[in-house]
Amino acid sequence: MWLPVLGLLIGLTLGLLTDIQIPDQYANYLSIAVLAALDTLIGGIRANLQNTYDEKVFVSGFFFNIILAASLSFLGDHLGVDLYLAAVFAFGVRLFQNIAVIRRILLNKWSFPQKNKKIDE
Amino acid sequence: MKTRHVVLSLVFLVLGYLIAFSYELTKGDQEKINFNSREWERSIQLRNQLNELEESNRKLQNDLFEKQGKLLDIEDSITDEQQIYSNLANEAEELRMHLGKVKVSGEGVIVTLNDGLYDPANGDINNFMVHEHHVFNVINELYISGAEAVAINGQRLTKNSYIVCNGPVISVDGNQFPAPFVISAIGNKDTLEKALNIQGGVKDQLVNDNIIFQLEKKDVIEMDPVLSTGT
Repeated sequence: MWLPVLGLLIGLTLGLLTDIQIPDQYANYLSIAVLAALDTLIGGIRANLQNTYDEKVFVSGFFFNIILAASLSFLGDHLGVDLYLAAVFAFGVRLFQNIAVIRRILLNKWSFPQKNKKIDE
Repeated sequence: MKTRHVVLSLVFLVLGYLIAFSYELTKGDQEKINFNSREWERSIQLRNQLNELEESNRKLQNDLFEKQGKLLDIEDSITDEQQIYSNLANEAEELRMHLGKVKVSGEGVIVTLNDGLYDPANGDINNFMVHEHHVFNVINELYISGAEAVAINGQRLTKNSYIVCNGPVISVDGNQFPAPFVISAIGNKDTLEKALNIQGGVKDQLVNDNIIFQLEKKDVIEMDPVLSTGT
């Protein structure tokens, strides 16, 4: 259980220590990538709570979504269309939906502990 | 279970890295924006300065044009003055020629007056000699006909020259000359010749007085300047 937290901490320190200056337009893509990563992560948590978690789907979705979101905004930038808005919208909606599902599941868990325990097992 | 944790930690690592990097970048962006706004103010300042400089440049340019115009006027007036000066110089040169201060040359006539052949049987010797009034007549006729310069035996006549009959010689400005008297005159040679040869004119009178009169037209006559300052 401590390993993922350790990974997160290492990632944070690495990111803070990285002193690469990238052009303004690429900063946009990075933000979208972060959004995609968060979305995938929340989706993974929901899937875990709903017992439909699949590691392959999660990992592939995580990296694929990051790359897709970044390249989508890159393409939009070059076409003159703000395609990154589409990514923001899609990921934002999904983020909120997933969080809402997680909240309901957790509420259910706390309201009916025995029932949930059975499901969990 | 173990592999799952490893994969999960890798995912978290990437997530943490992305978040941190993005955060760092945004912070840098904000700093850059601040810097940009400062830069903007500075550029406005510089632009204003540039405008002022251009304005003053324009003014100076106009000044320059004005001054160039003035310079042109001055140059024109200088040219005019120089023209006047050169005219004056030419005039002075001409006047000097008239006064006999410089050597002059030009077309003209040469009149030679010689004493007549003396015939003792025919009375007084005085009737056969050239007298000052003969010379006067010739010189006056020449001047009236437009001679610009007259000389007697090479002696230039000036406005205050005098001619005196002094026995067998004639004194011009104190210099004595014997006969024959060579009177050279610069002027229009044809006019001078006609004036002297006119019927009943100077030539006839002189011939009447038994004087040998010779007239010669010349294309070039040179006259030396008056050496003495004159009396």
